[in-house]
This record gives sequence, C-alpha cells and structure tokens, in this order.
Amino acid sequence: MNQERLLRSMAARNPLRTPMQHSASRRKFMAGIAAGIAAAGLPRSAAAQSRPLSLLTWDAYADPNLLDLWRSTTGVDVRYEIHISDPTSVNRLRAGETDVWDFINVNNPWARNVMYPANLIRPLPRERFDPLYAQMKEKFHLPYKWALSEDGEDLLGIVQRYETFDFVVNPNVISPQLAKDEGWDLFNNPDFAGRYGILAYEDWNVMDICMGAGIHPYKEKTEADFAAFEETANRWIQNAAFITTDFVQLNLGILNGEIDLYFTGGTYTTAAARLEGVTELYAITPNSGPADGKGGINWIEMNSAVNNPDFLDATYDWLEFITTPDAAEMVARGNGNLQPVSQMAQPELMSRFTSEELQAIQWDEFDERIANAVEFDIVPDYDRLYDIYTAAMRARG
Amino acid sequence: MRARRSPGPWFAAPVALFMLACFAAPIFIVTWFSLMPARSFDLTTAFTAENYVTAFTEGYARPLMWSLIGAAITTTVCAVLAWPSAVILHRHAGNWATVVAALIALPIFISESVRLFGMSVFMMPRGGILAGTLNALFGLQIGSILNTWSAALVGMIYVHLPFMLFPLLLGVSLIPADRIEAARDLGANRWQVFREVELPLAAPGLTIGALLTFVLCIGANAEAAILGGRAVTVITTAIEQRFSFAQDWPMGAALTVLVIAITAAIVLPVLARLDLNRLTRR
Repeated sequence: MNQERLLRSMAARNPLRTPMQHSASRRKFMAGIAAGIAAAGLPRSAAAQSRPLSLLTWDAYADPNLLDLWRSTTGVDVRYEIHISDPTSVNRLRAGETDVWDFINVNNPWARNVMYPANLIRPLPRERFDPLYAQMKEKFHLPYKWALSEDGEDLLGIVQRYETFDFVVNPNVISPQLAKDEGWDLFNNPDFAGRYGILAYEDWNVMDICMGAGIHPYKEKTEADFAAFEETANRWIQNAAFITTDFVQLNLGILNGEIDLYFTGGTYTTAAARLEGVTELYAITPNSGPADGKGGINWIEMNSAVNNPDFLDATYDWLEFITTPDAAEMVARGNGNLQPVSQMAQPELMSRFTSEELQAIQWDEFDERIANAVEFDIVPDYDRLYDIYTAAMRARG
Repeated sequence: MRARRSPGPWFAAPVALFMLACFAAPIFIVTWFSLMPARSFDLTTAFTAENYVTAFTEGYARPLMWSLIGAAITTTVCAVLAWPSAVILHRHAGNWATVVAALIALPIFISESVRLFGMSVFMMPRGGILAGTLNALFGLQIGSILNTWSAALVGMIYVHLPFMLFPLLLGVSLIPADRIEAARDLGANRWQVFREVELPLAAPGLTIGALLTFVLCIGANAEAAILGGRAVTVITTAIEQRFSFAQDWPMGAALTVLVIAITAAIVLPVLARLDLNRLTRR
C-alpha cells in the first residue's frame, strides 16, 4: 500500500513545477525505484489503477481548486501538463503520447478534422453525454457540428469555454464603437503603422490577415485572394511595432503607450487585467467583415478523451465533472483568468458571477460579439497561406 | 601467454549505448524524416530532396544568417567581457572570488524565460523600470531598445556570459604566473604578454567557452521572441513553425539537419584542435 502511494505521488509529480531533489531525498527516491520494480511484476490492470488521470490541457483545467475538488470528490489522482499550442499537443499525440494522456482540450476544428480522423481521440458514450448539451447555451444544442464527427454519428467531446478572439484596443485612443465599425481596416490604416502589436498565435494571425485582406478565411481562395493575402501579410507584419507570443507584453505595451491596439486578442487576453481595474484594454469584435458579412471569429474549446490504449474510465467521469456548476465555475475563473463557459446558460451558475466579473468579460455585449462572428473552422489552403505568412515573418528582419 | 584484454570497451559500453539511443537514433530519425515529402507524417514514402530545395529557395537563409551572426557577436562580446573578469577573479579577488563567481552563476538557476521577462520589464519605455525611474528621479526621458534586434543581442549576452566565463576562468588558471614574469623580464610589453603568453596558454578554456556559447546561441530563440519583439526571425523559430502550426515535420526536419550540419562544420574543426589532455593532466 505504501509502495502504491509512493508510486502515485511520484507519478503525479509535475517535473516542471516541482523538480525532485534526488540528493535531498535519496532514500525516498530509491524506495520509489524499488516500488516501481515491484509494480512492474503486478498484473497490468492492477498497475493501471494506480495511474493518475493525465490531462494535456489549457491552464484553466489545471487550476489547483478544480483539481482539489476532483480529487476530493472522486479520490482519483490527477496530473497535468499545459499546452504550448494546439498543434504542438496534437503533434505529441501523433508522436505516440496517446498512451500518456487521457484528456485533451483544443479548439474545435482540431478535434473534428484532425484528431478524430487520426484516431487520437475516442468517441464519448452518447447516452451519457448527449444530455449535457441540453444544459448548455442554445447554440450548442445537438446536433452541434463541432461536437460530432463528419458523419454526425460520434460525439467527440464536451464544449465548455468559448469566446470571440479578434483584436484589442486602448479605448482612450480608439473608441470601441469606431473600432467595431472600422473592424480589421484599422490595421490597414497607415496612421496605425508602428502603433500595433501582434500576438503570434499563428493560425489565428492567418485568419485575421484573411479578414484584413477582405477574404473569407474559411472558403476556397482564388489566385487574386492569395495575392491580396500576401500583400496584407507583408504590410501588417512589417508595420507591427512588435510581435510576441505573450499577451501580457502586448497589454503592457498598450499601458505604456507603446501601441494602441493589437491582434489577435479578446477577453481571453484582457479579462484578468480588466478585473484588476485596467481600463485601457477593450476587446473588439468587428460589426462586419468578409466572412459572410461577419468579421469576428468564435473559438469553441472541445474537451475530449484521448484514445489511450490503457483507457481509464475516470476520463469519462472527469468530462462529466467539469460541466457541474462548481467545476464549471472554477473553469470559468481558471488560474485567475475569466472566460465564458457554455454552462452559463444555467441560472445557478450565472448567479455566481459578480457584476465586476461580468464587466471584465464585457458580458453585456457577449451575445452581440458571438452573433458578429463566424465559428473557428479549418482554413482551406491553410498550408499555402501559412507559408506566405511565415515568409513575411522571415522577411521582417 | 594470452594477452589480457583491455576493459576499456566494457567501461565505454553504457555511455556508447546511451549515446546511440539518445543522440544518434534521434538524429537518424530526423534525417530520415527530412527526406519524406512535405507535410507527411510517415517514414515509409519514397525519399525526396524537395525539403532541402525549399530550404535554399524559400528565404530560410535569412533566419539562419541571423542565428549565425547573433551567435558570433554574442560569443565575441562574451569573450571580451569574460577575459578581464576571469583575470580579476583568478589573480586579484582573493577570498571574494568564490562569492563573486557564485553571484555570477546564480542566475543560471533561474528560468531563462523569467530572467528575460525581467529584462523586458526593465527595458520597457515610459513606465519601464529604467525609463520610469530615470524620469521620476531626474526628469530624464529616454527611448528604449526593447523589441529590436539589439535588445535580443543584449539578452543573449546576458544569458550566455556564464557559459564563457567559467571555462575561461579555468583557462586563465592554466597560465603560470612565472611565465608572465619571465616574459616581462625579457622586455615584453603588456600587449605582447597577452598575445604571446596568456592567450595561447588560456586557449583551451577560451575555446571551450566559445564553443559552448556559440552552439547554445545558434539554438537560442527566447531572446529574439521576448526581447526582440520578433524584429528578426531566427532559425530555431523557423524550425518550430514548421513542426507546429505548419504541421510540416519533414521540412522542419530538413532545416534541423541543415543547422546541425552547419554547426558541426564550424564546431568540429575547432574541437579537433582542442587538447583536452592539457586541461585534465595539468
């Protein structure tokens, strides 16, 4: 029993967060090795029971309060690693880590168009999970495209966090109404050359540049479209004051007056600062644009069960657990951020948010933003567009 | 009488196996992948050189140039900064040498990203620590190099200085004081002592420091990302883009192989001239 507990504690340890000090605890380390050797002789099923639930996740699901609630509710241990990006995590599953992870959450197209066809995630039992969709915002009621496989038969995961993700302005410099009306043309305006930053979430940047070039990101491109995209990508990347993968740097850039706006961004990048009282950050979703008249993009996070050959039933329990009001509230507030969740359709959950929190996520215009946005999708000809984008990046300096 | 067999191969076997599994095998797989068609994920398709052609025709020379130039500048500046520091620490710091060396080494134990973000806050214009303090105390308003290639270079020098300093300290310690005295007695001036006596004797330490710094800098991308505002794209960023958002493992692998080959072409001839025995037997 001691051996099992020790093994579990070692397996649950995240080496990035709490590196083990072998020299400080040599005896414990050696005991762990011995326990490992002993466990290797156990039948496979018994050894599997001692494995913690493993999450490959965005940080909201690694919130200590959420994990503590899970452990105390179920008694099942859990460990996690935070994504670097959607494609990086998909790469890891592709490279064989399906036997490491039990849960993954990435943006909607990756689940339906990439992971499920590649057998990296497994379908959820519909009798258990279909009813959860009835408790979400109406737009997610089944049959909801992104929750289902191409043939509409299999349920690919559970929808929870979602938002629009477009650009952010300093409302003291650019009025939000003007920004919404002007939309992506703000970045085409020569007056803002050198006054904006780029958050290098690169697949998003490609979609934004499409919008700025007047192209529907999710429709087939003509040669004229490619030419327009290339011209816009070169200009936007060349005129950016700076480009970073860290949105805090962009927020600080706005606070310091270094820049007046940046893309890509939204309440995901601004809510925590706004809740702290920062008024210089305002998430904008354009009122109109080239995507069937819309200019915004709406991401939907899909929480899925990895197709682990050593599958843990606790994975299904976890997927159900995160939709409970207590857990969904923690996800929405995950790690100090604030993010709308699909379960906010439930009055019980909605009532838990203060007016300051709702103001921080600009909740009063949330439905309007969603209405003005198309759903994140696979970009046809993405490879060619991305190559143009990276060539523009290389040509920047 | 049977000759006694040397135990050397047996002692070397664990390390050799480790290197085979953890060094040679990954390089072999990466090289294999680099010969697969672009944006494919298996290793069984017919070999092609298209990724290498793309590497030479699609503007990847530019990121490679930035990485090589950045590594060369950083190595040179680190050597220039580390030489007097090493001499002072070895000959003049006395009991303080250990404390000072520990203080220089301390930042290595802190995550590089954390240190670079700290520098970013320091360099920020207007409300940044440097600009804000100068403005508040003296009414001075200064600009900032943040988000430029220069800022990335400053970050690279800051991060990599210890990797030059400590091998160089070892090199400087190889210089016997009596040789310097003898050179001076024979009429050598300060420059001649440095060039004819100190530099050749400290060369192994300097070479190791330079190799460490250069190779680490070729693979560095956090400085250009956090401090440089991606004013330039370095080759490791270009490689990462191919592996991640492009989902183009073969192209990423081809670029990786090219970087390894170019680094080896620069480093191996230098390494061949390094007499490690001199360092270990003295």
